[in-house]
Amino acid sequence: MRSRLALPIAILTTAALAVSGCTKKNDNDTSSGSTAGAKTYKVAFVPKLQGVPYFEAMNAGGKAAAAALGNVEWLYQGPTQADAAAQADIVRSYIQQKVDTLIVAPNDPDSMAPLLQQAKDAGIHVATADTDAPSSVREVFVNQATAEGIGQGLTDALLTAMGGKGKYAIVSCGQTAENLNSWIKVQQAYTKEKYPDATIVDVVYAGEDQAKATQMATDLMNAHPDLTGLVGECTSSAPGVAQAVKDAGKIGKVFTVGLGTPQAMKPYLTDKSSTAAILWDVQNLGYLTAWAGAQIAEGKQFQATNNVSDKLTGVTYDATSKMLLLGPALQITDKNVDQFNY
Amino acid sequence: MSTVTATIRHRVLPPRLTGQEIVLAGVLVVLWAALAVSTPAFLTAGSIQPLLVATAPIALAGVGMTIVIITGGIDVSVGGAIMVCSVLTAKALVGAEVSLPVAVLLSVAVGGALGLVNGVLIAYGRVHAIIITFGTANLFMFLGLRIFGSGTVNGIPGTLAFFGRGAGGRTLGVPHAFLITVLITAAAWWYLRHTAGGRHFFAIGGDAQAARLAGVRVQRRVLLTYLITGLLVGLASCFVIAQGTSTLDQSVGSGKELAVIAAVVIGGTSIMGGRGSVLGTLLGALLVQSVASGVTQLGWRSQLSDLFVGVFIIVAVGADLLRTRARRSR
Repeated sequence: MRSRLALPIAILTTAALAVSGCTKKNDNDTSSGSTAGAKTYKVAFVPKLQGVPYFEAMNAGGKAAAAALGNVEWLYQGPTQADAAAQADIVRSYIQQKVDTLIVAPNDPDSMAPLLQQAKDAGIHVATADTDAPSSVREVFVNQATAEGIGQGLTDALLTAMGGKGKYAIVSCGQTAENLNSWIKVQQAYTKEKYPDATIVDVVYAGEDQAKATQMATDLMNAHPDLTGLVGECTSSAPGVAQAVKDAGKIGKVFTVGLGTPQAMKPYLTDKSSTAAILWDVQNLGYLTAWAGAQIAEGKQFQATNNVSDKLTGVTYDATSKMLLLGPALQITDKNVDQFNY
Repeated sequence: MSTVTATIRHRVLPPRLTGQEIVLAGVLVVLWAALAVSTPAFLTAGSIQPLLVATAPIALAGVGMTIVIITGGIDVSVGGAIMVCSVLTAKALVGAEVSLPVAVLLSVAVGGALGLVNGVLIAYGRVHAIIITFGTANLFMFLGLRIFGSGTVNGIPGTLAFFGRGAGGRTLGVPHAFLITVLITAAAWWYLRHTAGGRHFFAIGGDAQAARLAGVRVQRRVLLTYLITGLLVGLASCFVIAQGTSTLDQSVGSGKELAVIAAVVIGGTSIMGGRGSVLGTLLGALLVQSVASGVTQLGWRSQLSDLFVGVFIIVAVGADLLRTRARRSR
């Protein structure tokens, strides 16, 4: 019995591990442009993680750009969890595939920098989008909005609801996320400067765990009974803080804003547990990313203002920081939430 | 120490409370008292009720995990199983608008099926449980991600609010999720302590060969432990959906297997098998969540709760090893 079964089971287990290991990486979304005539550039984008609406919307925008531009093959693959090591593996595989442009939204900018150097050494154009790796060799950073735009947008939306004064707290996600931390810095400075009667009592980190974000928001409301505001700094904690307010029966007493995707925030915007979601047009960000990838692959220079498509005009480029800026932040409320399908 | 064990030898039943449980209960009392003094809001209903709700899924899955670890096994596929159960249930809630009992039955059935896969492979394949469940963990995660299909599940209705943090989730101030967890823990405690079937799990963990020779159907009992864990994980997944938001994303369940194992180990169950208690697991889960809530309410850095949990695990395992050594040296 023992010897008869042990081997097949061992093989089965090994096969299972191998299969599960591979399939995660096989979710390649590929849409090729026209192959005839001019050279087709392979533009690969590695998101922080795939399968979340945010990056899927970016992917949709990138695909649209590839279809419109005609000379771009858009490759999209990310880790299944926002994990720096898993992301590095995918970046390495794209380096081996010798894509023309490699664009990354790094989970950990510091550990991504040497990999980008490696890609550059292999003759690949490198760029960052959504999240920057400032101390790397990237040729351009496709920025969705400036830290000032996001931080001030969040602060203004929340403080308007809070009546310009009071105590609030921030529920952030990954503790090392460069963009979240830069927004928080702006929120802290801007609140102090523009709303002297308001204070940020705490900043906590929940990871990407919705239930944990909700529980932390609940604990914050208990620790500070006079708390009147909460900020959800990422797409998992934005609905989380609103859910906590709703569960505690404090709608109208504690106001929340957050970086949330429209469809996930819709129930909370409707029942007023969330005042506003601050975001940008994510599909346009994907479009701009693919376009920028093609530009640097072709060796073209960016202009001070660029007309990317009919919908995407006047995109500014800052030569000193090598940064393309999508535009001002968008405020999503119960009024305009239905305009977005992600 | 020796006098205590000497008296135990004459009893038919093991002690009602183990030393670890008494210590844990003591630590919890001291911790809650300290938190009550330093943050006055800690010991209020508005703070304790959500804490109990947050404890429930870990403690519930922990009941199954305790039994598994008592038999000398382990199940690291709990996180993946939670993902599959909760995404399927969430999709059923959104797409088919199923009722509360149907949703619970579905989730428990799916969890049971996943547990059965683990159980059959481990009991009849006779490969160590960590290898099998490590494999199935990846399989379950793959399955879960496939069902998610590159997107989140949006607009989950409040059908499961009965298990949630809100006003609909409690009766006379007691959260339903926690009450159910306590009842199931009590039932498991009684079963493990007072029935022959329950004692067989300990016998298998102590020495599987000896248990077999004594007439215990080892394979069947082992299979049963993983099936129980699967069923409980199915119910715990409903709790997870209820305490999340109206959106479910693919991070659901991630890392939960380690949280569950942490609660079991802190609760005094020996990772080597043969000894343990579900009551300790409930206390362990409660301690971990109390620390997390305490750290937030005190305004301390979030990562400190990881530090404390790490220290608890090491202290608990260390205490277990010392006990084993003391027993052997006699």
